Amino acid sequence: MSQRCFQTAMARLVVDAKFRDRVRAGGDDALEGELTALERKRLTAIAATRGLDATSTLYRGFRLSKLYATLPLTCALLGKRRLAREVRLYWAARVSVSLYFFEEAFGFCDHLEERLQSGLRVAYLDEVLAYERATLELQRPRNREDAPASQRVEFEHDPEILLNCLSRGQRPRAIPVLNCTLFGELDEDDKVQWHFLADKAKTSHAKARRRKEKQVSSKQHLTP
Amino acid sequence: MSNTPLVPKLGIGLAYQSALRPFIEEERERFDFLEVVPDILWSNLGRGHSPQYVDDAEGADFMRRMRAEMFIVPHSIGLSIGSSYSFERNHLTQIKSWHEWLKFPWHSDHLSYNLAEHADGEMNVGVTLPMPHDAETLDLLAPRIHEVRASLPVPFLLENNVYYFNFADEEMTEARFLNRLCELSGCYLLLDLHNLYTNCRNHEGDAYEFLSELNLDRVLEIHVAGGMEYGGVYLDAHSDTSPQAVWELLDYVLPQCANLGGVVFELVGSWYQEVGRERLSVQLARMKELWLRHQPAPLREAVA
Repeated sequence: MSQRCFQTAMARLVVDAKFRDRVRAGGDDALEGELTALERKRLTAIAATRGLDATSTLYRGFRLSKLYATLPLTCALLGKRRLAREVRLYWAARVSVSLYFFEEAFGFCDHLEERLQSGLRVAYLDEVLAYERATLELQRPRNREDAPASQRVEFEHDPEILLNCLSRGQRPRAIPVLNCTLFGELDEDDKVQWHFLADKAKTSHAKARRRKEKQVSSKQHLTP
Repeated sequence: MSNTPLVPKLGIGLAYQSALRPFIEEERERFDFLEVVPDILWSNLGRGHSPQYVDDAEGADFMRRMRAEMFIVPHSIGLSIGSSYSFERNHLTQIKSWHEWLKFPWHSDHLSYNLAEHADGEMNVGVTLPMPHDAETLDLLAPRIHEVRASLPVPFLLENNVYYFNFADEEMTEARFLNRLCELSGCYLLLDLHNLYTNCRNHEGDAYEFLSELNLDRVLEIHVAGGMEYGGVYLDAHSDTSPQAVWELLDYVLPQCANLGGVVFELVGSWYQEVGRERLSVQLARMKELWLRHQPAPLREAVA
């Protein structure tokens, strides 16, 4: 039992900075559970090392790399500083439960959706987040026989301009208003295809550009 | 050691990453086999799902194509064999199913744990956390290794771990611990020279002392890689070419590993652009030169 407690405490030192700080400050007293004297000695010694900080950096780096890989446009839209703040909040509430990327990505989507509902204001975030979440939903690992449900994402701004801007690493500004719906599904090669479902453009500029339903094919983002 | 299972002398290997695919496809003559972390080519849907593991069809197809030309050796991260809390037995079933079509001559995982209890559930740290070199750790590992060995007809290797902090008052040196683990469990070793270099650099150890104490007959595979300094700690980041000290260790150890099957270079895909095709080629050429100096010519015709 103590071996299990020891491993849990060591993992907590890596993932939970507040716990690490408590052990650093309070030593043995901050440790819980059935631990032998030697295990307590080892844990308090580990908490004081630079090596623990390096291990925590690797832990955070791995988690962050999952988000960059699965939600690149959302990460780009948030920018480094705001992304760092949001992942700190997210990670404080939820430890990593899997090696796999999708679990981390969907968890972060849930976090951002809750933050948006509770007042977070980031221009275009709701649209970009919904688009990337829907893309992930289509790509989510599943058994071959379980075809994914098609996805619909509502936009209030021109998705072509918005998403391409982000995919080029540019901060979107003054994206033209365009109320439209994107329809996503997998093609025969299991690649995500997004179509304009119906053109509900409100701006005359956009109406002129898209009279007919238009297919756009890209795995991650819309292409012109 | 007369009872050591033979593995084919595969020669020089490259660790697969999707970003390396252009290199893998266009520079095949530079390496003799591929190593793959199979976990990146499947998804674990979680316990309770049936099937629990779903292959990435495109990635698995690529491996099938490559298998027609060379051996592919799996190097897993999913067993968490050192976790007191939970050991991923279903991962073994998945590895076994891959053996049916990949026909690999050995397989390996990390001598570490990443699964631990957390509140009412579990956490997966995603980092290979170390375990103390104590008898209690051997007691945990040995029966699990027996289980792994019983499930597959090929040798099972564990990789000496990289660790950024030490444990106070360990009962054994790392080398003695690894020797004892092999004796008790029948496993073999994947000797990661960059892990060894990183540990010695960070903790002021002596790599040659470690190697002189280690039973090198148990080493069936070697890893080389590069890393970086971060926050006063040298990281096994697989982010660069190998340091000169690692090449010297490889030159030193290669003639002493009688049962060696291959030497693999590891590079994280996101660093490939930084390292570049040319420098990666040079790494592999250097490995090949050392291999041919100290080991028999690779058996490429062994591909089934």
